[in-house]
Amino acid sequence: MTLILAKLWAFMVRDFLSDLSYRFAFVLQLVGMFFMVAVLYFSSRMVNPLTPGLDGVPPFPWLVVGAAFQLYFATALYSFSAKIRGEQVQGTLEAMLVSPTPTSVVIFSSTAWDFAWGALRLVVYLACAVFIFGVHLHVSSPAALGLGIALTLLASAGIGMLSASFILYFKRGDPVNFLLTTSTTFFGNVLFPSKVLPASVQWVSEWVPMSWSLQVVRRSLLQGAGFAELTDPLGRLAVLTAVLVPLGLVGARIAIRRAKREGSLIQY
Amino acid sequence: MDHAIEGFGIEKSFKKKRSFRDMLTRPFAAAGQVRALGGVDLSVGTGEIFGLLGPNGAGKTTLIKILACLVLPDAGRALIGGDDVRHENRVKPKLGLVHSDERSFYWRLSGRENLRFFARLYNVPGRRIEGRVDALLEKVDLVEAAPRRFSDYSSGMKQRLAIARALLHDPPVLLMDEPTRSLDPASSRSLRAFIRDELNRRDRKTILLATHNLQEVETLCDRIGILVRGTMRQVGTVPEVRRWGVTERLFRLEVSGWHEPLGGEVRVVSDESVDGVRRITLAVEGEGRLNPLLGGLIARGAVIHACDRLEPDLEEAFARILASEEDRGRS
Repeated sequence: MTLILAKLWAFMVRDFLSDLSYRFAFVLQLVGMFFMVAVLYFSSRMVNPLTPGLDGVPPFPWLVVGAAFQLYFATALYSFSAKIRGEQVQGTLEAMLVSPTPTSVVIFSSTAWDFAWGALRLVVYLACAVFIFGVHLHVSSPAALGLGIALTLLASAGIGMLSASFILYFKRGDPVNFLLTTSTTFFGNVLFPSKVLPASVQWVSEWVPMSWSLQVVRRSLLQGAGFAELTDPLGRLAVLTAVLVPLGLVGARIAIRRAKREGSLIQY
Repeated sequence: MDHAIEGFGIEKSFKKKRSFRDMLTRPFAAAGQVRALGGVDLSVGTGEIFGLLGPNGAGKTTLIKILACLVLPDAGRALIGGDDVRHENRVKPKLGLVHSDERSFYWRLSGRENLRFFARLYNVPGRRIEGRVDALLEKVDLVEAAPRRFSDYSSGMKQRLAIARALLHDPPVLLMDEPTRSLDPASSRSLRAFIRDELNRRDRKTILLATHNLQEVETLCDRIGILVRGTMRQVGTVPEVRRWGVTERLFRLEVSGWHEPLGGEVRVVSDESVDGVRRITLAVEGEGRLNPLLGGLIARGAVIHACDRLEPDLEEAFARILASEEDRGRS
């Protein structure tokens, strides 16, 4: 376990140093985060606070919490495949896979910095919202919030690993990632409530995990909901996690094995 | 003799890429196969430098990748230090792969940062990483360049860093895929000396070297194997392979005081005079001796200045082996 954590840390340091070497871009990203919050703030002023689906929450806090957490959760969706693809194209995947580190650890650890950077971005978004735009956050049940975030990240990681398996095997296409990212943003109550969608497609939103995740986060952070009130979305997320994580691991294992047999593991 | 690397009937085929049109017109047809290795047998002794020589597409890189646990063989066994490459947990700690691809490093990181990162992947304990990295940077003469970004390194420095990376966990076996491919002649010479003197003679590493470069093979390798179309055609020491398919032995004779034809059971390949000395290249069939010829010349007053055996050229031997392979293919 210590060995895996040490490797995880090495990947974090590698990517941090690499990102830091692009100093200007690094600073610009931080500035960009402030502007994104500002855009959401002024956009939200056009929104009618009585819009169905906001559940009494003012538009700006509803929007900023949704957008910030969606960005963080999406890290787990795209990061695995993006990193594997990046390492394949860069030519470094082979050098890592010839080392005694198992392929699964390489894939998993490659995303460590993305998760850390995603968490930092989440904090910056929320800090801008709280300290500059006066949003009031109150965590009534840190356990429920933490569990909701952890389950969402795990479930998304399961999908992310399936997506990375596509990349490992098919090299291009990545249909899982594309389908999920677009559908999640559209049906997941991220930037608008699903109740403003045509009635005939609103039901789709009920089946999009991001809806459940954002429901936990918004109700916990903005409405002071406790554990008992969040059991329904948390339960759904737990079931989803229990299915997706093993599926992702098995998918990655099969893809690695097949790619090794076909000699295409490091091709791109 | 202990064997560090062994292969028994290693076979590997790859699926042929299908054209877009083919996929549309015959979507469920099975893809064709291209044979990369057709039953390769190989044995490399501990502490030996073995050169894997072959034309493009012969299967050298596929063989290296199978030995490095990056590609699974379809059939046969490949062993590193007695362990099958299918058990990569046991095999990977025993081998280091020196890539010829410069892209296998992180270009925005320094040489030292790259080595620190890979040291973790190679399970070097945390407290030993700095010492190991320092020692290797010194070994490959990159101490001063260590804080510089990898992107600023010359090709020779990049290759030396690749060797340092392969040595991080001090493996007994090194696989090198065209290590001097992109180097200038001076850097190539220096790297070859390093491989021979430092890695092989001093550290006793077993080295499998895949290359096109005949000079590299001649100066470095104890034995070579010639791989053609996925099959090992010839294995032996450099002189043995040079003599493959040669039925005559060549000699260079320098003689003065004799102006007649030589006679005897020799074939004169060339005959020229320089400053009154005849330089004659002779071909002697089979096990024929030069003693009667030389004795006769001396007895008749000729002065023998030199008589050297000429080794056949490796390049010519390589061409002969390829030509015989083509003949086999036709027949």
